[in-house]
Amino acid sequence: MLAHIHEGSPALAKDRLTEVLIRYEAVIGLEIHTEITAVNTKMFCGCPVAFGGEPNTRVCPVCLGMPGALPVPNEAAIEWTVIAGLATECDIALWSQFHRKQYFYPDMPKDYQISQYDLPFCSGGFVDIEVDGDGVAERADLGGALAFVGPEAVPEDGGYRARIGITRIHLEEDTGKMVHVGGSEGRIAGATHSLVDFNRAGTPLMELVSEPDIRTPEEARRFAQKLRSIWLALGVSDCSMEEGSMRVDANVSVRLRGATGLGTKSEVKNMNSFKSLHDAIAYEIVRQADLLDAGSRVVQETRHWDAGAKRTSGLRSKEEAHDYRYFPEPDMVPFSFDPAWIAGLAESLPELPDARRDRYMAEFGLPKHDAAALSAEHALACYFEDAVALAGTDRARLVANWMLGDLAAHLNAEGIEIGSSRVTAAMLAELVGLIEDGTISGKQAKEVFADAAVSGDAPGAIVEARGMKQVSDTSAIEAVVRNVIDAHPDEAANYRAGKTGLIGFFVGQVMREMRGQGNPAVVNEVVRRLLG
Amino acid sequence: MSAIDLSALSAHQVRDSIAAGEFTAREAAEAAYARIEALDGDVHAFLQLTPELAFAAADRVDTARAAGDELPSLAGVPAGIKDNMNLIGTRTTCGSRMLENYESVYDCTAVRRLLDAGALPIGKCNMDEFAFGSSTENSAYGPTHNPWDLARVPGGSSGGSAACVAAGMTSISLGSDTGGSIRQPGALTGTVALKPTYGRVSRYGVVAFGSSLDQIGPFGTSVDDVALALEAISGADSMDATSSSEPVGSYADGLDQGVRGLRVGIVRDMLDLEGCGAEIRASVDMAAETFAALGAEVGEVELPATRHGLAAYYIIGPAEASSNLARFDGIRYGHRAADPADVLDLYMRSRAEGFGPETIRRIMLGTYALSAGYYDAYYGQAQKARTLIIEDFRAAFERFDVLLTPTTPEVAFRFGEKSDPYTMYLNDVYTIPVNLAGNCAISVPSGLCSASGMPIGLQIIGDHFAEATLLRAAAAFEEATGFDPVPPLVNSLGS
Ligand SMILES: [Zn+2]
Repeated sequence: MLAHIHEGSPALAKDRLTEVLIRYEAVIGLEIHTEITAVNTKMFCGCPVAFGGEPNTRVCPVCLGMPGALPVPNEAAIEWTVIAGLATECDIALWSQFHRKQYFYPDMPKDYQISQYDLPFCSGGFVDIEVDGDGVAERADLGGALAFVGPEAVPEDGGYRARIGITRIHLEEDTGKMVHVGGSEGRIAGATHSLVDFNRAGTPLMELVSEPDIRTPEEARRFAQKLRSIWLALGVSDCSMEEGSMRVDANVSVRLRGATGLGTKSEVKNMNSFKSLHDAIAYEIVRQADLLDAGSRVVQETRHWDAGAKRTSGLRSKEEAHDYRYFPEPDMVPFSFDPAWIAGLAESLPELPDARRDRYMAEFGLPKHDAAALSAEHALACYFEDAVALAGTDRARLVANWMLGDLAAHLNAEGIEIGSSRVTAAMLAELVGLIEDGTISGKQAKEVFADAAVSGDAPGAIVEARGMKQVSDTSAIEAVVRNVIDAHPDEAANYRAGKTGLIGFFVGQVMREMRGQGNPAVVNEVVRRLLG
Repeated sequence: MSAIDLSALSAHQVRDSIAAGEFTAREAAEAAYARIEALDGDVHAFLQLTPELAFAAADRVDTARAAGDELPSLAGVPAGIKDNMNLIGTRTTCGSRMLENYESVYDCTAVRRLLDAGALPIGKCNMDEFAFGSSTENSAYGPTHNPWDLARVPGGSSGGSAACVAAGMTSISLGSDTGGSIRQPGALTGTVALKPTYGRVSRYGVVAFGSSLDQIGPFGTSVDDVALALEAISGADSMDATSSSEPVGSYADGLDQGVRGLRVGIVRDMLDLEGCGAEIRASVDMAAETFAALGAEVGEVELPATRHGLAAYYIIGPAEASSNLARFDGIRYGHRAADPADVLDLYMRSRAEGFGPETIRRIMLGTYALSAGYYDAYYGQAQKARTLIIEDFRAAFERFDVLLTPTTPEVAFRFGEKSDPYTMYLNDVYTIPVNLAGNCAISVPSGLCSASGMPIGLQIIGDHFAEATLLRAAAAFEEATGFDPVPPLVNSLGS
């Protein structure tokens, strides 16, 4: 009964999750598929790798599974997979091969997928994640945010660090896409017919399988985010969850705290954002706990996350036991890798997000939170470093503040990536320079930024055109301050009698007189001196 | 009849005659079609004739000659192409209803190379459905008849390719060989038929049966022609990751160098297999004597693991086939069942309607062998047997340059004679181990059966990429025996 109620229940309250996690432990493993968009061509043919386009325009006999066509492996994709493995502390196989994974589906041209089975390119790695803020509360077993043992504590912000194992990373080919016609919202239910677009078929796809080391929805989100940030730093993929170049499935089960056996798991799919990933797992944990509380049992099945309804639902059709009948792909010879080649790739790995964050803290004195935010997204980090190179290391904190403040708000409001921002790194460096040398005030800088974000004009030019140079000349400011004091004798008397809160009134009056161009620090100083 | 008797001319002679202006390539194509007109109603070697392609190719040869260009090695040579090889402008049916209307959208590399050497694509040859069979009786379009006796099978699965050469309809042809599908019909039709080393010829464009076993190879009426065709189609191909970059020899040169000092091994334990006809067994010993007389060092060798060959092959071949044939699902091309209830119904009925019984048998065998819980007992064991067979051959080739066996345990049988699959499978008992080991082998005519008058084939097996040695041995044997079999059907035409 309880289960039934939950099937239709609305959004999950956060405290329900916390409450459940006090009694139950969740065991979560992720399967993360990432398209290798860094390569020019598909995994086994010469067709270009790209998103979208007219259906079935990037296809050939090989990726259409025409009779007699053969796969030829894309060595660059294999190299990218090895690089991804090295960046996540995996062992790289010296000997590996592809297998055929066999099942019938219309989006799969050959009705088998060339994948890997017992000899993946990468295995046995890990990624360290840090959880802070609200997400810490999900770890009920840690007894609250600050008083836990177990995963390594990060005391300064009350968070914790956890190591998530990576079972394997293997390489396979992506499938095509089905388009269902005639039903509602492109769903298969009620559709009159289905179309298949094979543009995506054969795109190189890395599948990462984590160990079931994840215990909370927040850890799952942090893990997926960390991987995305590593993939972006490597440049292996554009990692767009919306466009499907990064897809995360979660295996979720729960067990009573203290129990050692594993509960029955469900596999949750169709999360197309990190928030969905978190919420879907949270929903699933509570759903399973409610079933167990009611004396019922969890059914092993695949469940789809509906982001609109904020719930998962099982496939209505009966689950078929899949026997993929893996066997070694006879159309390709096995691969053997030279350890020197692997070592060379390991040496040429770029700086990864954690190292970058630590460097930002050490080199620029950024607070940890800012350093982490800037290093998590490769494009953001590049922008930051470009701007600092122009503005000077001593202005790095100011650059960071602007990026995480006005720039982030601007990107958010416009819904654009940093690469599309009209305000380039060079422009932000210029803006920071104008503030630092006293040409404009911080308040004026906000106006200049807003202008530049629309016009794309250089900050210097905007300041010039608007005649908004800051006045720092003490004698000019003194003249204005005297006029203001003379015009407000009562307020001046009250101030001198002890109502020092009136300082703001006088500064405001002066700034208004100066049309905002007075240097706030100088104005403040002069007002105090002349009133005193 | 045309004035040109293709059955009396080697491919070499056709090319040289055209180069010398004795006749044109167009006339060679006309001769081929005239012969087909006269005989193919009885033989049924072809599923499809492609005169537009053949005459266009012939005109290119004639134009090149008129311009004084050097003609390529197979200029104007009429050729048949097994119907599992893609060629734009043709249907590629694989002898199956499933692909009855399938139009090729690209060219098979080996076919492309044959045509680039100037060969004329006369038509697509009949075959057992998806190459599953040893008689062409599994073709969805009716069997091919053996030009030596129309009541008998031509062998298979490349029966059409063998018959069209045997009947002089084309000078050469291409077949494919997964377990003997070139050599066995070669033996049964008295033609020369070669299965190259795995990787020698690109598999790109030949519809896959057993990917680790398949090779395309040529048929001809002489070793010389087969060497010429092999040279044309061999070599690395960027479209086939299993094709070898091993250099391609000048196979047609040096065929006359003899076999003095060549180490020839009779595979004694294969000869002693039950079911091998006495006359066939004797023919191998006679061949060995011929080699000895030519100065070869003849000895005996045993390949004990090859007794597991048939069993291993009927796991590995169907396992790979079950996977390769999954794509025929009615979704993108090929037969699609009418009014499917859902996608599962579409799959099941399209495949049930499109595939013949032997194809369904092989798919079921292979699916079973790869299934969870059975993989180790079947596919795993078969791979172990295969490793032992490879090791047997490797050891044998340390002692010998070529090995001798019969190509088949018996001569061409009558239609319907082998009604259960197993006795049919036994026909490939000598050829199958060679595919499992990846070696090259050739079948050359070695005589006629005294009782039936049907041709007998000698299988000569070579080491990996030792096609030059293999062909040299075959050419010496061919010359020494002076045996140039022409079926009575062809003789009856007079020409
Ligand atoms: Zn393609």
